[in-house]
Amino acid sequence: MITKNVASNFRLGQAPIYRSIRLIKHIDYTLLFAILCLCSFGLLVIYSTTHVEVMDAGSLSYVKRQLIFIIAGILLCFLVAIIDYHEIEKFAVPIYLLAIISLAYVILFGRTTGGARRWIEIAGFDFQPSEFAKIALICFLAYFLSRQKEKLSYALYFGLPFMLTGIPMLMIFRQPDLGSSMVFLAILLCMIFVAGFKWKHIIIMFLISMASFPLLWSFLKEYQKNRLILFINPSLDPLGAGYNVIQSKVAIGSGGLFGQGLFSGIQSQLKFLPAQHTDFVFSVIGEEMGFFGVVILLLLYIFVLWKGIKIAQEAPDFLGTFLATGVIAFLFFHIFINIGMAMGLMPATGLPLSFISYGGTFMISNFIGIGILFSVHLRSIFV
Amino acid sequence: MFNQKSSKITPDLIKNRLNDLFIFIIICFVILLVNLWYLQVIKGQDYEQRAINNCIRSLVEEAPRGEIYDRNGKLLITNRPAVNFSVIPAEIDDYHSLAFELSSIIPLEESYIIEKFQQLKKRPFQAQTIKRDIEKEQIVAIEEQKYKFKGTLLTVQPERKYLYQELAAHVLGYVNEISEEELRDSGYSHLSGGDIVGKSGIEKYYDNYLRGEKGNKEVEVDALGREILTLKSREPVAGNDIHLTIDSDLQQYIQNIMLGKKGAVIVSDPKTGKILAMVSQPSFDPNLFTKQISTEQWENIAQSKENLLCNRTIQGIYPPGSIFKLITAIAALEEGIVDLNDSIYCPGYYKLGGLTFKCWKETGHGNQTFIEAISNSCNVFFYTMGQKLGIDKLNHYARMFGLGEETGIDLPGELKGLVPSQEWKTSTFNQVWYPGDTVNLSIGQGYLLTTPFQIHNMLCIIANEGLVYRPFNVEKIVSQSGELIRKYEPEIIREIDISTETFRVVKEGMQKVIEEGTGWNARIEEVTVAGKTGTAQNPQGENHAWFVGFAPFQNPEICVTVFIEHGGDGSQSAATIAGNIIQSYFKKQYDHKVQSEKL
Repeated sequence: MITKNVASNFRLGQAPIYRSIRLIKHIDYTLLFAILCLCSFGLLVIYSTTHVEVMDAGSLSYVKRQLIFIIAGILLCFLVAIIDYHEIEKFAVPIYLLAIISLAYVILFGRTTGGARRWIEIAGFDFQPSEFAKIALICFLAYFLSRQKEKLSYALYFGLPFMLTGIPMLMIFRQPDLGSSMVFLAILLCMIFVAGFKWKHIIIMFLISMASFPLLWSFLKEYQKNRLILFINPSLDPLGAGYNVIQSKVAIGSGGLFGQGLFSGIQSQLKFLPAQHTDFVFSVIGEEMGFFGVVILLLLYIFVLWKGIKIAQEAPDFLGTFLATGVIAFLFFHIFINIGMAMGLMPATGLPLSFISYGGTFMISNFIGIGILFSVHLRSIFV
Repeated sequence: MFNQKSSKITPDLIKNRLNDLFIFIIICFVILLVNLWYLQVIKGQDYEQRAINNCIRSLVEEAPRGEIYDRNGKLLITNRPAVNFSVIPAEIDDYHSLAFELSSIIPLEESYIIEKFQQLKKRPFQAQTIKRDIEKEQIVAIEEQKYKFKGTLLTVQPERKYLYQELAAHVLGYVNEISEEELRDSGYSHLSGGDIVGKSGIEKYYDNYLRGEKGNKEVEVDALGREILTLKSREPVAGNDIHLTIDSDLQQYIQNIMLGKKGAVIVSDPKTGKILAMVSQPSFDPNLFTKQISTEQWENIAQSKENLLCNRTIQGIYPPGSIFKLITAIAALEEGIVDLNDSIYCPGYYKLGGLTFKCWKETGHGNQTFIEAISNSCNVFFYTMGQKLGIDKLNHYARMFGLGEETGIDLPGELKGLVPSQEWKTSTFNQVWYPGDTVNLSIGQGYLLTTPFQIHNMLCIIANEGLVYRPFNVEKIVSQSGELIRKYEPEIIREIDISTETFRVVKEGMQKVIEEGTGWNARIEEVTVAGKTGTAQNPQGENHAWFVGFAPFQNPEICVTVFIEHGGDGSQSAATIAGNIIQSYFKKQYDHKVQSEKL
């Protein structure tokens, strides 16, 4: 591991514009390419599931909008890559506080869809603060873990991250958004694990978190309780929420080795699948592209995550390592829980699939995450 | 245990931890892949079969619409089970042969069926109706040749039943499939093609209350179309029942009298605005619309004939003729241009400039006081009044009584009619308003057009001496569980600023109309009637006959308006019918009284 070299910035060049160009030249384009492949997967599937409605709603609008999100995401990704990630030290606390405030705002004034308050409207755009909060948490935890170690007792150094993650987590839990609050816990666990905490302690804290579950249970809305119960025993109710999972499994299963072909998945084209372009997008991929298509998809994801691990290991300092770790955890849990959900391995918590599911805030937060990876990567090149 | 300083954390430890993390990630992915292999490759065939063969059908269960009762709780509209022929587009291999087979059983054009298929394809797995309410023999024929009708099914759905066919058809309205334009209307945004909605009358105006909520069912079916498993079901919720203010006996009585005539009759309670009967003749049988001959076809038939679907009470516009003299009379009194003791001489004509306007009595009425002029409906008297008042005043008073705008009755499609003004004439014909136009207007001729219901509304205002009640047909709306959803109370929507004295005088004149004037045909023994006749000239042919009246004179309980299209002299047919209606009403009241006293 290379320790931080203050002189590194001077070597990069003189005027900011030249520095930026030089940085952009050295971005890891194989990683970017893999991500664009994933995005293309997404665009294809969104087109496939929405093109039937051309007459009704204008299906291109979904594809078009997703394309706009992707382009916006890439631009932001480059911007974040150019900025030195050490700037985060200045902004970690304000960003964290801003995330808390926006979550509070959602609880008070947010727009309700499907029984949950998740959205706020900014300048005509619907915006999900919980996605932004995930990135904010990554930055904040990375800053905390890399900077506070020497200043605090071990108990505080170990206990505070749990408390500071707990606050936004509970706020999201109240929305209610069970899936996203689980992502918070996942990010925290991955980061403190990489930060070198003892196995024993991590497991104890994890158990304490789980032990507090009965308390949290009383916060849950009826439909969430049902979802969790159904996950434990789906045969209880093949009519209601279990229906989604059955349909999704039939869709994935009927894909076989090579899939039914784009635009011809029986389940997907006939709208048996719920939330096809968002939460259950993987089922459509499974049905229309088959096992081979899915393997390619998973390999792309593994490649992206492996690149992330590499970047974390080669980072110039702890801050960079922890940032990269957080991003990896964020991407990985979305992927794993979403795909697991589509196959009936996980409860249907409604987490979107990274780079593929339709949705603006999520796509952009994914790209910001990648931007952070690039930023860390670039500082490890220009020592 | 937490008090040791974590000095052991080294870059190498972190590197190892990252490796561990990656191994964990790989293990998770392997779990996913193994599961995928199991789902897609090992079980893939099964699932594919399940997706193809064990199709899931999505069936809609229509909600029964609310029932409609008259004011005495007599059931007028209910639902009956009907068999619909539906298709599931995704399960049909050959549209053309199916269309061919079907057209041999059900009298529908092959091309029409194919066109219908094309529309239904948008929702391939949804069972959608091609033909509603098929006949018994057709059901048998289809069942016998079931093998030819793969991907189709017969479903039993509630269908509207109008128990008394033509009774109050225009008030009740009819239902049919939602049209393309209606689908684009935001009021129907939660509906989809094929849904049944009210198309006119109460059925349309109160559609949201009557409609109920569709149920649906997702069922797994085997290759033969038998249901294996219900995956999802939501029971339909029946619509709410409506109780009308209409008295169906009175309505029936009037429709019998009016049989063979064209026209409109309205009976209502002036003290509440409740409508007791609303007749538009000729009528139609709303049951016909459930036999889906396609709406367009039916509407063409109905319109080409005698404009059956037009509710003449609110959608027919006619010159009101002498009925309008009531407005002229009120205006004259209010403006103080007439003295009750003075009289005007009627020689049988009225000269204005170079023009001569005739009185209906060619020999003239001689000297006429105000009351006599109303009683005899003397044109010359009212020409003179109109001329003194001028167009602006006449227009003002006509509008005061609600002419030229909707009355606000709870029925859709009400027309406004036309009250002419100087500005209107200039902008429409680019002509100035002539004094002769005022003369014509003063006796309800010329450009003036009103619906029979507007005239009725005006009558109620006079009977009420200025209080304007909201006219309404619906007393209350009750849910299936008996819960009162809405109750409509009498409501005064405005009060007209005209002196009671004026109303008294005009009403006195109206009583004289019946006693010794043009309305003597409406005179009955039981009760004192007050009224006014009208005979409206019109360019379409024979004069329209009008009669408006209320009874009892002292304390009006009902207002009656009778209008007969090309019915000739209002003092004859219209007045006689009105007399009969009033008589029948009070006889029934009397019988009720006797009966309840016996009890």
